[in-house]
Amino acid sequence: MTTANDKTGFQLQDALFIGFCATLLVALKSMLRLKLGLSGHSMLLMSFFYLICYGSVGRKGAITACGALAGAVATILGVGKGGPLIFLKFFVPALAMDMALILLGTLLILRWRLVVVALIGCLAWSAKGLLEDLLVGMSQQVALVRFGLKFLQGGLFSVVGALLVLPVLRRLKAHDLLHKETLIK
Amino acid sequence: MWAKRRQPLQSKISSVNDASGLWLAASAMLMVTLLSSAAFLAPQSALLYLALTNVLLLVHGLLCRGNIGGILRYIVLQLGFTLLLYVVIHGGQQLHQGAWAVARLLLALLPGWWLTVVIKPQWIGEVLAKIMPVKWAFVVAASINLLPYMTSELRDIYQLQLLRGARIAPRQLLNPLNWYELAYCVIFPLFVQLLKLAQQTATAARSRHFGSHPQPTHWRDPRSHQ
Repeated sequence: MTTANDKTGFQLQDALFIGFCATLLVALKSMLRLKLGLSGHSMLLMSFFYLICYGSVGRKGAITACGALAGAVATILGVGKGGPLIFLKFFVPALAMDMALILLGTLLILRWRLVVVALIGCLAWSAKGLLEDLLVGMSQQVALVRFGLKFLQGGLFSVVGALLVLPVLRRLKAHDLLHKETLIK
Repeated sequence: MWAKRRQPLQSKISSVNDASGLWLAASAMLMVTLLSSAAFLAPQSALLYLALTNVLLLVHGLLCRGNIGGILRYIVLQLGFTLLLYVVIHGGQQLHQGAWAVARLLLALLPGWWLTVVIKPQWIGEVLAKIMPVKWAFVVAASINLLPYMTSELRDIYQLQLLRGARIAPRQLLNPLNWYELAYCVIFPLFVQLLKLAQQTATAARSRHFGSHPQPTHWRDPRSHQ
């Protein structure tokens, strides 16, 4: 049984914040859909909410938890095309972003670290599409062109999402709303 | 203690206490996962049987008043884009390969659509709650219960900032330079509210001894006991 002050897992307050972010991400994605007709716009919301979770909770694993919860909530609410594919759509980029954070450590300053992590999330998101395309039998050339276009469009939105994270985190810190040791000094 | 996340959906769906609903949902989720996976992995010769199964799901979903428009729009877009790429890269020779690939994508999406049309969301939630740890099931329950509150907060903040003259109207947001203003005026206050909400919900749960019993108690809909 997990307790509220579990030393190994997330504190209940942090878990709830991650859950709220995941639910809001799914709700916004279904409400807005941005109507741009561009592939990759979902990466804007995904990179922004995932990185906000990481920045606010200040722990590795927060992004994966947010991705898994977003996938579960999207499955429950029937957002997108539904079914198991929608779970993977949220979970795969989140897992890749968390792994990138582990590998990157503190190599880069926070702003560029967030951008690189968002781009790696986008790469995983595009790679999932590439794998699907290859599995359904598309030719390698067509699948690779689709992958490249998807990564370019998604990457642009991911970078915008990542750049919006730091100002929000700084203001939360300035208002003393992040009580724990966080990434913002 | 953890609240079941079906409470806000009460008006739309009836409460589920019977094990049959749970088993039905679990079986449907398993079947959908298998069918979606088969769309990617099955050999070409098995696609006809898979397509027939999907036609049955499609008919059942339409009889249950499901809206297939979104899926069809997506598939038509994918078909157009993929065939265009095939024409550019391979000439007109391998168009059938592209069409088959998009057909497989459709077969992968249809079971998921059927699941969301036919199986009530609360049943899917119940199945997930059985798989998840108690704390995370509580988090999902609380998040979905509080979703209407969060969206109304978001709407209020957005409307108030519009009245203050922030450049965040839909047309103004087409200009990426205004996205920072959206983050500053809407997203930042929203996260302040979310952080406070998380703190208050955690305090409320702890004060009700959340996590202090080995066997968690479940919040029950009072109407389900009548």
